[in-house]
Amino acid sequence: MHGTHGRFLRVDLTERSVAAEAIPDTVFAGLIGGIGLASWLLVRHCPPGADPLGPENPLVFASSPFVGTGVTTASKIAVAAKSPQTGVIGDSLSSSYLAIALKRTGFDALVVTGRAATPTVLVVDDGRVSYRPANDLLGLAPERVAETLRAELGGGFRVAAIGVAGERGVRYAAIANDGRLAGRTGSGAVMGSKGLKAIAIRGSRLPAVADPKGLAAAARDLAGRSRGPATAKYREVGTAANLAFFDRIGVLPTRNFQSGHFAQAEAIGGETLLLEHGTDKHGCAACTVGCEHHYRTRDGNGGPETDARLEYETLFALGSLCGVGDPNDVLRAAARCDDLGMDAISAGATIAWAMECRERGVDLGSPMDEVPAFGDGPAVLRALDAIGARTGIGDLLAEGSRRAAEIVGQGSDAWAMHVKGLELPGYDPRKLQTLALGLAVGTRGACHNRSSAYEVDLSDRLDPDAEATMRATAAAAAEDQAAILDSLTLCKFLRHAFADLPAEAAALHSLVTGSPTTADDLLRSGERITNLKKGFNIAQGWTRTDDTLPPRVLSATPEAPTDLSRPWLDQMIAAYYGVRGWAADGTIPLAHSARIGLSGLVE
Amino acid sequence: MTFSVAAPPAVAVELFGVPRLLAAQRHVVVAGRTLGEVAGALAGACPALLGPVLDPGTGWLVDGYIFVAGERFSRDPGRVLGEGASVLLVSSVAGG
Ligand code: SF4
Repeated sequence: MHGTHGRFLRVDLTERSVAAEAIPDTVFAGLIGGIGLASWLLVRHCPPGADPLGPENPLVFASSPFVGTGVTTASKIAVAAKSPQTGVIGDSLSSSYLAIALKRTGFDALVVTGRAATPTVLVVDDGRVSYRPANDLLGLAPERVAETLRAELGGGFRVAAIGVAGERGVRYAAIANDGRLAGRTGSGAVMGSKGLKAIAIRGSRLPAVADPKGLAAAARDLAGRSRGPATAKYREVGTAANLAFFDRIGVLPTRNFQSGHFAQAEAIGGETLLLEHGTDKHGCAACTVGCEHHYRTRDGNGGPETDARLEYETLFALGSLCGVGDPNDVLRAAARCDDLGMDAISAGATIAWAMECRERGVDLGSPMDEVPAFGDGPAVLRALDAIGARTGIGDLLAEGSRRAAEIVGQGSDAWAMHVKGLELPGYDPRKLQTLALGLAVGTRGACHNRSSAYEVDLSDRLDPDAEATMRATAAAAAEDQAAILDSLTLCKFLRHAFADLPAEAAALHSLVTGSPTTADDLLRSGERITNLKKGFNIAQGWTRTDDTLPPRVLSATPEAPTDLSRPWLDQMIAAYYGVRGWAADGTIPLAHSARIGLSGLVE
Repeated sequence: MTFSVAAPPAVAVELFGVPRLLAAQRHVVVAGRTLGEVAGALAGACPALLGPVLDPGTGWLVDGYIFVAGERFSRDPGRVLGEGASVLLVSSVAGG
């Protein structure tokens, strides 16, 4: 198939063995690439019951047919492993040059298994593999690691690295590249468990696309639309624009989801940040949108200031969720998460859980002055450092809110705000019912990126009184659309630049691969990919009880009214299983797997 | 015979994101009975919105923006507003 190499590189760190293995065209045809391909490789290489931090857990990096083609925003790499945070599929995406570097090696994907005997850098140079000791890199932030390796190996190398959090096995540690993160579900901890501090990749061979001229014209047209009103919010203000609006409509998670309103929302809102702290704007490789806004603290009184890249999710998690209303504190905390190499959502949410424990007098087994209080920005910073180093209370918080609550007990699971162990994103589901369903059934846990069902809740497309089947249909469609974009590795911020996303994306796919693709083909691939990930979870021990929401959002308080209840959520989940063609217990019937063309791909 | 025509009610419009930055204000009070009238009045009150947010030809919202009125998202210019209504103007590109 054009646009692909049709093979992946498998490296076992224990044996130091290397093999090139084929990826059949049927896999690209059925699962597209990106997250679909990474999930397929994970299913094939991760045995049921694998220890997520054991050598048997594969760490997968996958590109897509679109990577390196010049299609705007398509330079993304998919990362997959069994998550040490959730015990189910951990899949994430990270933008920029690393994806192109991998694709240029002559392989579509890299699968790393085993465990290095000593800290190691894996070097992949045009398909040739070598190893470099990493002892001198331990303790360094990912950005410093990349600088060091690129200075030593050559600027053509792109680097994926972990920070201290990954080295120490923080369960929500991330993998960083080019200033971006494969952030959620703890792939950095998996990489650290393999003794792998970094992977440096360089290559020179991109596969040909089927119709270069046609593709160039279509890509130019899409790039033009990507600069229009459909992406203005991201370009002009960035995702931080969500914060003040979410506060206004009462869906801004505040003080560990005790409220949907934050009194200091305007102080940390995207508009204020831009005017008072904004410095410049960047874009990922091959992106014509450029949504990445950078900010600087302004309280140094002439001394050093901190520069930070900030997204809405970081802002809410380290801001309103922890009750922190000083933008300087939030910016410092965001920069610290990047330096330590960890997911800011889970870090902030786990700290917010500890803050509520403190408020309620729950003994966390640490001196009280180590436990941050709501609103104490400097204490958040200290907690982040402790988490990264796994010292003091940080050792408990490095486990994430679910495990920490299990360890501490005392009823603290009642305010551990996670689904399947993954902490909730910055959308209060109490008023966003379709998203609530999407978060409950999500294969990687509570994730707004894999279930963008909030979009129908925050629109005029769905009646606020919509019944369960309508919400289930919308949630499944949102999930499948996310699977398509994540597998084409197109940025979701581009979605409104398409007049008809499946049809136009299918046309691009045809031009790249030479394989005639219809909108319906892509929609069926999206469904197949969602089922593939669900199948992985079932094999790893998922049960119906895992599809749920934290009890807090299912009952109202004076500060936080809710449209949800346990019976209503169960009704929506049952409807969702029905829409999906699954059994009443949420398992996938064999006949369904065959009907959607999945069984042939995973046998 | 004389007629008395009631003046359109005052509507408080709260701006978020790009509209707020362009207008350089968080709130605007305009007169209007419907969302269409509010959009038209906004164009007069905040000329900077014309083009990027409001269509200069129709006076209505360009694609990419939406009102929230009474907890409902709406791009219906005929949507009638009650007395003392408060309206939010925001990007229709939800979330991040
Ligand atoms: S829109 Fe933003 S996140 Fe998406 S590819 Fe471009 S810069 Fe990266």
